[in-house]
Amino acid sequence: MTTLAPIICDNGTGYSKVGYAGNSDPSFVFPTAIATRGPAAQPSRGGPTVPSKPGHLASKRGVEDLDFFIGDEAIANAKTPGYGVNYPIRHGQIDNWDYMERYWEQTIFKYLRAEPEDHYFLLTEPPLNAPENREQTAEIFFESFNIKGLYIAVQAVLALAASWSSNKVTDRTLTGTVIDSGDGVTHVIPCAEGYVIGSAIKHIPIAGRDITQFVLNLMRERGEMASVPPEDQLKIAGKVKEMHSYVCQDIVKEYRKYDAEPDKYFVKYDGENTVTGKSYSVDVGYERFLAPEIFFNPEIYSSDFLTPIPEIVDGVIQQSPIDVRRGLYKNIVLSGGSTMFQHFGQRLKRDLKQLVDRRLDASVVASGSLQRSSGVEVDVISHKRQRYAVWFGGSLMASLPEFYSFCHTKAQYDEIGPSICRRYQIFGSAT
Amino acid sequence: MILLEPLNVVIQTTLAEKCIKPSSLDVQFVDFDNVRFHLSTPDRKTQLLLSMNIRCWDELAQYGAVDVLRREYDSLYLATPEPDYHVSLAIDLEQIPPEGEARDSFINSIALLKRNALAAPFEQAFKEQKKLEISGSNQGQLMQMHYRDEEAIYVRASADRVTVIFSTVFREETDRIFGKVFLQEFVDARRLPTIQNAPQVLYTNRDPPLELRGVPGLKSSEDIGYVTFVLFPRHFSNPDVASSTISHIQLFRDYLHYHIKCSKAYMHSRMRHRVSEFQKVLNRAKTEVAVTERKTVSGRSMISR
Repeated sequence: MTTLAPIICDNGTGYSKVGYAGNSDPSFVFPTAIATRGPAAQPSRGGPTVPSKPGHLASKRGVEDLDFFIGDEAIANAKTPGYGVNYPIRHGQIDNWDYMERYWEQTIFKYLRAEPEDHYFLLTEPPLNAPENREQTAEIFFESFNIKGLYIAVQAVLALAASWSSNKVTDRTLTGTVIDSGDGVTHVIPCAEGYVIGSAIKHIPIAGRDITQFVLNLMRERGEMASVPPEDQLKIAGKVKEMHSYVCQDIVKEYRKYDAEPDKYFVKYDGENTVTGKSYSVDVGYERFLAPEIFFNPEIYSSDFLTPIPEIVDGVIQQSPIDVRRGLYKNIVLSGGSTMFQHFGQRLKRDLKQLVDRRLDASVVASGSLQRSSGVEVDVISHKRQRYAVWFGGSLMASLPEFYSFCHTKAQYDEIGPSICRRYQIFGSAT
Repeated sequence: MILLEPLNVVIQTTLAEKCIKPSSLDVQFVDFDNVRFHLSTPDRKTQLLLSMNIRCWDELAQYGAVDVLRREYDSLYLATPEPDYHVSLAIDLEQIPPEGEARDSFINSIALLKRNALAAPFEQAFKEQKKLEISGSNQGQLMQMHYRDEEAIYVRASADRVTVIFSTVFREETDRIFGKVFLQEFVDARRLPTIQNAPQVLYTNRDPPLELRGVPGLKSSEDIGYVTFVLFPRHFSNPDVASSTISHIQLFRDYLHYHIKCSKAYMHSRMRHRVSEFQKVLNRAKTEVAVTERKTVSGRSMISR
């Protein structure tokens, strides 16, 4: 019998990406939300209600624990009386295990329609995840779902693996810097040979949500949003960001270009009022190139976070061990929806290269022009699978024949216990 | 969600998406019980090919699955399936019904591919029962479907009923106990006045029920159980009722396992609750550290930094 494809489950703070290994896109992408009976966002240590006094077994048919929705259905039911929406993952880490267990239950049975006992699973975890969380996850998957085998991979490593699909990548290495920017937060994560250098990770509090907000602010200031109903404004701003934004090479020049030939660069966005059905159209202008600019000049958006992304990346690499820095500069990989802007990679590469070259020049001067550096290669890799890079990396890994030997199987789990999942073999490493 | 739905969500969502915006595609996915699907666009973007690999195809074909699929899918059904698969449907996106209800029902019917393939033996049994009732003879043939490696469905028509037997194997000790409780509950629940019309359910452990005596290849071990459903004509005389009976009974095993898993999840949540309660008790039991202000000789108080 051929084994069935492993299931890849990438549960993020905002969205969950789930599907089968071997495919290039996840089968389902839906919000990591669960709508249950009862008030929303109750304190996480509440626990379910105690069942009433035990009576005749057959007459007691409480199904409260089955009465819930996940994903898009959960969001759709947010307004239904009696239901409350909860987000079981916060800041990338699982916050409420009760909800998460039920979330997985429905993901597997309702959406994937798989019998978990027949499948291997690949799950993802954020960098610096506590080993206890892995143990809990393993407990749920092995004891509730009786899965065949489990592999828990670090998201950054999978993002690196996903970059192998780019034709620019020739040596398939797991050394590199990952810039993972989703909806809530952006991380810069250095990886050496598949191991995350935990001490050097940096978080940037600017991500997709902030860009959308920034676009909205800009459009409101210009008075474009006057014709748009207030409840649609954020959505429109999101659409504008996704469809029309790009990264420019020089803001001043770009402004001049727009002012000289507004017809050429201003685009129209047409929408329809969801309630009245009246159509409206807004002009999209400077926000096209200003939106992603907040990564490079954060001062235009926030007043408390002021370090541009190239400087952060440089800082992260400088904090990493000296022997891997070359590898980290050479292989900077983008992942997540907020890195999808056109020319994002080129701009980052240029700015970073400038920083690095300036430092090299300074050290040449400091040595009295006696020692010359051979230069440091800086390269930023963008590829087609960037949006769901983590999931795609997982799919790639799980379709390797070695995958099965890297997994911990049910038998091993039964023998050793949850602590077995504290350690996983890294792909491509010798031991 | 108490019942599992018979249609495959991946097929449904992918088709709905491709109907609006055709694009090239090549995905593989699964359904319950070792069913593998392959959805691809081999030639051009508007020509979808959906193939299914199902473990007990040979048996199903013998019981008339091809006819059922021909009836359901008409010209979509391909006589020669894609290699390595058993059933293939060719869907031309240029010839699908216009947006609206017609398209939705078209998509749903395709998402029911697995259900329709598995429906064949049941339909045959229902027909056979009618014949037997008229002719007055005793028993029809026993139809076997080995839909999983260790488990099978047996269907047999008699003069006044159709018996469906599932053999179930639990790999896990905990599951077996949960399963036993569950199946016992099925038997008990039927005594409630509100669900008297439900099919009769019998559960036996280890020994196969009388209907299966003498069937070769039955495993005899402690972890095997047999669940028997007795369907009476009222469950399948009306075509609508019959089709929903088939949809539900097919998913019985998955339903059972789903609920075993849900119960475990519930138990776990109770355990977590208990642990957090105990932790509160433990925290209360901590001895208090007496706080006294410490002073130096000169009378100034010490502040720890």
